[in-house]
Amino acid sequence: MTWDRRTFIAGTGAGVAGMLAGCVGGDDGSGNGDDGGNGNGNGNGNGNGNGNGNGNGNGNDDPMQVGMVYATGGLGDQSFNDMAHEGIQQAQEDLGLEFRNAEPDAPADVGELQRNFARSSDPDFALICCIGFVQETDLVENATDFPDQNWMIVDAVASDDDGPLDNVASYVYREHEGSFQVGVLAGMLTGMDYSHGGGSTNTDEQMVGFVGGQEIPLIERFEAGYRAGVQHVDAEIGFTSAYAGDWNDPATGQEIATGMYDDGADIVYHAAGGTGAGVFEAAQSEGRYAIGVDSDQSRSAAEFSDVIVASMTKRVDTAIYESANNAANDSFQGGQINDLGLAEDGIGTVIGQDFEGELPAEITAELETTKQSIIDGDISVPDNLDDL
Amino acid sequence: MSGRDPGGLLDRLVDATVLERIVISIASLVFAIVVGGVIVTVSGTVATCREPAFVLASREFCYDPIELYRTLFDGAFGSLINLGLTLQETSILLFTGLSVAVAFRAGLFNIGTQGQMVLGALGSALTIGWVAPSLPENIAGTLVIVPLAVLVATVVGGLYGALPGVMKAYADAHEVITTIMLNFVAMGVAFYLVRNHVGDMTTDSVQTTPIPEFARLPPTIDGTRFSVLVLLFGLLAAVLIYLLYERTVVGYDLRTSGLAPEAADYGGVDAKRNIVGSMSLSGALGGIAGAMYVLMVHYRWETDMPALGFDGIAVSILAGNNPLGVIPAALLFGALKGGSLQIDFALGIPPELVEVLRGFIILFVAMPEFFRMIGSYAGYGTEGGETDG
Repeated sequence: MTWDRRTFIAGTGAGVAGMLAGCVGGDDGSGNGDDGGNGNGNGNGNGNGNGNGNGNGNGNDDPMQVGMVYATGGLGDQSFNDMAHEGIQQAQEDLGLEFRNAEPDAPADVGELQRNFARSSDPDFALICCIGFVQETDLVENATDFPDQNWMIVDAVASDDDGPLDNVASYVYREHEGSFQVGVLAGMLTGMDYSHGGGSTNTDEQMVGFVGGQEIPLIERFEAGYRAGVQHVDAEIGFTSAYAGDWNDPATGQEIATGMYDDGADIVYHAAGGTGAGVFEAAQSEGRYAIGVDSDQSRSAAEFSDVIVASMTKRVDTAIYESANNAANDSFQGGQINDLGLAEDGIGTVIGQDFEGELPAEITAELETTKQSIIDGDISVPDNLDDL
Repeated sequence: MSGRDPGGLLDRLVDATVLERIVISIASLVFAIVVGGVIVTVSGTVATCREPAFVLASREFCYDPIELYRTLFDGAFGSLINLGLTLQETSILLFTGLSVAVAFRAGLFNIGTQGQMVLGALGSALTIGWVAPSLPENIAGTLVIVPLAVLVATVVGGLYGALPGVMKAYADAHEVITTIMLNFVAMGVAFYLVRNHVGDMTTDSVQTTPIPEFARLPPTIDGTRFSVLVLLFGLLAAVLIYLLYERTVVGYDLRTSGLAPEAADYGGVDAKRNIVGSMSLSGALGGIAGAMYVLMVHYRWETDMPALGFDGIAVSILAGNNPLGVIPAALLFGALKGGSLQIDFALGIPPELVEVLRGFIILFVAMPEFFRMIGSYAGYGTEGGETDG
């Protein structure tokens, strides 16, 4: 893997070298990005893409079939679902498999779409990927009804009374760890007189904001970690948070974020899927900053790259790629629970493409320190709001 | 009214016979299918795809409209499983469609069926959760718990429907506004309760604990969740409501009270009470739809319920607010739902485009009826005055 191929982050490189946007390889994959980003990253972290992946399945007459059931936010969210889509596209390219997408309109459709894939015999789906916590209950039921079908789920663990189901690979993330990191960044930045790209900080007031999708434990985990990161910098920093109640409602996202910026917030972090586009919109029109989520949003939502200081990345693409790769190699890890955080590079922080090398050195240095402390266990990040 | 357009056209539309109206509806359906097909084909030229469906005059078309409709039909009726899906959707739309139609008959526009359904569903799911542990897990338990769940949903939905009825009758608050807003109240309150107090706390999803096996209605078709009991119940409800409004004094009172409260009062009928009655009946039907959803489809309450209540408005308008007309209208919408799931699954056509198609059919088919109702409401036609057939 050649590092100079990629644009990357100055400073936080150590933490994020494994997180190149579009680099789906993970520990065993190919370092083959697809976002066309290039430039010279001076990050030199624990790069782990060891060359080329497993190109089996290529040229096969009967390519492996993968079914994708997305979360209700749907494709085009430039975040969670698109990240999963990127992973399967990468797998298609490398492994020669074929996949089919299904986007549920509402949680009620999820079970039916899962069953649709599982029932199908032409084509026969070797793996069905279920993206999002919303699929958990239906998946447990369907995985029990279709015991020979391989499944994977992101953001939940599929288990019944007897423990994890042995035909489902589960991927969960410690989002609070990465959120802590961007919290540190936000907390430090709001205290500085900083101006770059499409925004600047308001020196009169020290305040940051958070916009969530739905008010559920998963998203509160983002808020808890973020808040802890901000408090780690200075407990006096003002904090405001709100939930849009929807994963795909940019208008509400914009309304909420505009209110926060008007109240003096310098930076708003969102964990709201497609709703987050409204937060970026608000940041741009108010001349303030925002932090993206799940993918490097300064690239996936490049029109807002002048205000996206950083993104908390969650490597859903790697999870998809990995399980597709395992299924292709007859080594599907059913029953395995993959709990991924900063240490496993499942979670990370990426500085926005317009802000590489433009952030004060003390911030990037502090991010390195806190990252190591979290990995070493010196900082324990709360994963719910009650533990703050 | 003058014989000139558009008044003359409205006159003719209002005076159309049942047969004429059926012909108009079918012609609209055909027209919608043609226009929808053209739109899908044209949008296929700007989309990029790996294998174009067909090439014409050296332009690549990504979507094949004939293939699309074939898949739509196949998805709706192509196999027993698909038929089950269609009928499952149809059964619930029967109740929501009837809910809206009942209010319409009394000249009341109940847009709150969705909210009434959400609360009815929550009521039944919670009742099952509380009562199930003390019941035997066999057919006896089923015979107790299913009627109980339906009863609770009926009461909850009825009360939530009565609320805008009371506001309309005694405070003159327009039911269109109040029912729309009460939808949001219902969804918000249900979300809060389930998320924080009565839901399944072991998952990130905002939902109740799944109901036990014996509380689920037995599937009639293997591999689906469709239960013919619900369909029969829905058909029975449609006939009963038809008879109620056409053959009984109570039904007549309910109708006149909403349409002409002063006249009803003059005739010795308590119009205010009957307005509340109409809305309660409407809400109760919405609540039953919710219970059926829990018992037959989802086996739990979950936030972001599908918009079956809103679809009920379209079903009712399409049916000309006739309780018997609701039956074919619900079937059409059920088929569209089953078919669109199949399109999402089998073809590379984006689901948004399928929504557009669905919208076209609703728009084209419902619009003549809608204009007929408006025209009738505004006094066109020879009879005028009523918003039904």
